[in-house]
Formats: sequence, C-alpha cells, structure tokens
Amino acid sequence: MNHASQAAGPRSGARWLGALLLLLSIPLLFSEKDSSPQPENSEPPVRVPSDVAWTGETLTIISSGDAFRGLLLARRCNHCHGEEGFSSVPAFPNLAGEDRLSFWKQMQDFRSGKRTSPVMQVIAEGFSARDAADLAAYYSMLPTTSDPQDNRAFPQAMPDPSRASMAIRLIVFGDGQRGIPPCQSCHGPVSYVKGAPPLATQNANYLQQQLEHFSNGNRSNDINVRMRSIARQLTADERTAVSEYYGAGLGPGVSSR
Amino acid sequence: MKKKIGFVAGVTLVGLALLSTRFYMVDLPVWHFLGGGKAPDPATLHLAGEFVESNLGAAEDPSGSLTVRMIAQQFVFVPQCIVVPAGVPVTFRITSADAVHKLSFLGTDYGLKAAPGAVTEATFTFAKAGEFKIPCHEFCGAGHYAMRGHLKVVPRDQFASLLPGERRTCEPR
Repeated sequence: MNHASQAAGPRSGARWLGALLLLLSIPLLFSEKDSSPQPENSEPPVRVPSDVAWTGETLTIISSGDAFRGLLLARRCNHCHGEEGFSSVPAFPNLAGEDRLSFWKQMQDFRSGKRTSPVMQVIAEGFSARDAADLAAYYSMLPTTSDPQDNRAFPQAMPDPSRASMAIRLIVFGDGQRGIPPCQSCHGPVSYVKGAPPLATQNANYLQQQLEHFSNGNRSNDINVRMRSIARQLTADERTAVSEYYGAGLGPGVSSR
Repeated sequence: MKKKIGFVAGVTLVGLALLSTRFYMVDLPVWHFLGGGKAPDPATLHLAGEFVESNLGAAEDPSGSLTVRMIAQQFVFVPQCIVVPAGVPVTFRITSADAVHKLSFLGTDYGLKAAPGAVTEATFTFAKAGEFKIPCHEFCGAGHYAMRGHLKVVPRDQFASLLPGERRTCEPR
C-alpha cells in the first residue's frame, strides 16, 4: 500500500501541475478576447481637435521653459497683452499668471491652425515650441495683483445682482441636473485639470467670446470635447453672467486686488 | 506531499479569483490592464484609435449590432447625451481619460466602470423607452457630484438605421 502510493506520487503531482498551468492560462485567453480590435467596415473621417497631448515629452518641453528668455520674447506681445500681462483692451486676454500648459497648448494650436484667429495664427508662426515654453514660463510668473501705474482693462463693471447670483451658483456648484460641473473644479482654485487656464483675472469680453465660440463650435480645440460639451449646455444668459462675474474680479482664485 | 500540492492549488485558486474580480482600487479584472500596447493611452485618446471625437456615439458594426463608444473624464461624459433603440442589444465601449469613473443608467439595472488605460465593454438591452440620467458613482474629483450624462432610449421604429460611418448622439450640433 505504502509502496504503491509512493509510486503514484510523482505522476499525480504532474497532474496537479498541469491543472494549475491550465488555470493560469485562463486570464491570457480573456486578455486576447478583450483587446482584439473591433472590425469596422467604414470609419468616419477622423477629426483631431488638437495635436497636443499631455504625454511625458510634452510636459518636459513645457517645464524646461526659460522665463528670462520669455521676458525678451514677450516684447512682441506687449502691444496687445500689456507690459505686465494685463491687456488694455477687454477683448484681448490677460496673460499674467497664465497656466503654463494651457498657454503652450494654445500657441501650438494657433500654429497648427486647430484654433483660428486672424491675428494670433500669424504671430504664433514665428514662435517655436521652445519659444512658446519660454513665454509660458514668463507669463506664469507675472503677478496678478493690481498696479495703479498700469493701463489695464481688467476689473470691469460690476455685474447685475441677479446675474451675479446665477454666476456664483455655476462657478461654485455647477448644475448637476444638466451635467454642468462647477467652473472652479477645473479652472481653480479648488482643483485644476491639465490645460484649463485660471480665470480669476480674465477679461469679461474675452471669456464671453470664447464661451460663445465653444458653444457654436467655432472654437473646437479642446481635447475630448470637454469644454464644448459644457458651453453647449449653458444658456446665453449664463455665459454672459459667468464672464461678467470673472471679469469684475469677483471670481474665486488668486487675489486680484 | 498530496496535501501540500492541494494547499498550493487552493491558494492559487483564491488568488486567481481575487485578481479576476478586482484589481487594486479598480473593480475590474487584472487582465483589462494587460493590453500589451493595444489598450488606449488616456493622454492620447483624441489623436488616434477608436475614441477619437468623430467616432464617439452610437455606430453600427458590420454584423448589424449597435456599439456606443464613450469617454468618461473629469467632469463630463462624452458624448453627454446618447440615444439608443429599445429592445435591441447595445454594446457599450467606454474608457476614461483621467481618473476612475463609474456610471449607472439611473432607473435601469445597468452600470459600467471606466478606468484609464482600459476599455470596459458590456452589452445591455434596454426594455423600455424613456430618458435616463447617467450619474458618476465613483468619486473622481471636485466636480464629481455634477458629472452627469443623459441616455435617451427611443422605441425601435423611431431609431432610423444608421448609415455606414454614421455616428449618432442626441447632442445639439
């Protein structure tokens, strides 16, 4: 009896091993099935919103920007965007305190024509990816505090109280019923998402114009249709309210006064 | 000897069961993450592959079945409004561009998990027509509670068959 079981030992061990190997191969079978590409007979024309993707290489290029070189390059931007990054014309964006990633992405999109602007597309032609990173480093360092010496359009007229309450509700709480997330959950100061610029010191006219362009599809360089989906849900009145509120310097964020 | 092998086999079985149902914080089998380069990179979804923005929404496969492709991202679902016919099996393929999201079709028995770097696929048949909300059920960041999509289930005869290459959503364009 004892002798017999000893003789059967190695063979039953091999059987166990075989069973284990079979069990281990089950996941491999599943992984092949899951990752098999879906056959498609007809692909729609691929629309790429922006050539920029937040990969490691992109982030390395942006973070290696040299702010001093940016200061020298920025002399070309001063005429419209102001000496200290605050524009004197409310339709032009303020660049002081701008997020590096969003600045760089917009410059690349102007260059590749993914974002259209008769003025900026021509200017962005003259800046390489490295120049844009330098400018981004410079503008992200500029303070957003007020300066009485400077001619800036920034804190604009106070909004109508009824529109202001509409704006603060959207900025702080959003509207869950319609799928509108709060502005401050991506544009700060509560949390930031890659490529979302801070809005606390942005001009009202510029903001409203961009929201309109996002909602009617004139501007479509946002990655994965994020901003277009949100702007489409907002009513025209709400787009005005939010822009006015930020433009009056009331928006949550870095102190502007 | 036999007992030892049995013990090892038991431990392996329990381990496999754990791995196959949940992986780290994501309730997805571990092999969803073993795509080996085929799984979409969350950072470059918009450049190429099946989740480019022109390929999102309901599409008809060569076999005639309906596939809905979606992206979940902080803090919107794209497309935000999807339309499908009732009483027909619909395959959902969803991935995430950042954090882990979980959506349920409120009022139905169905739900899905969306994880970055993995495609979750499931086939559902919606019995009754109606409008359903799609809230996010996994905390994904500051705007999580306002993250909501819409599902419109229309009677089968009202859902005109899709042209080859056509992608359908109920979003205003």
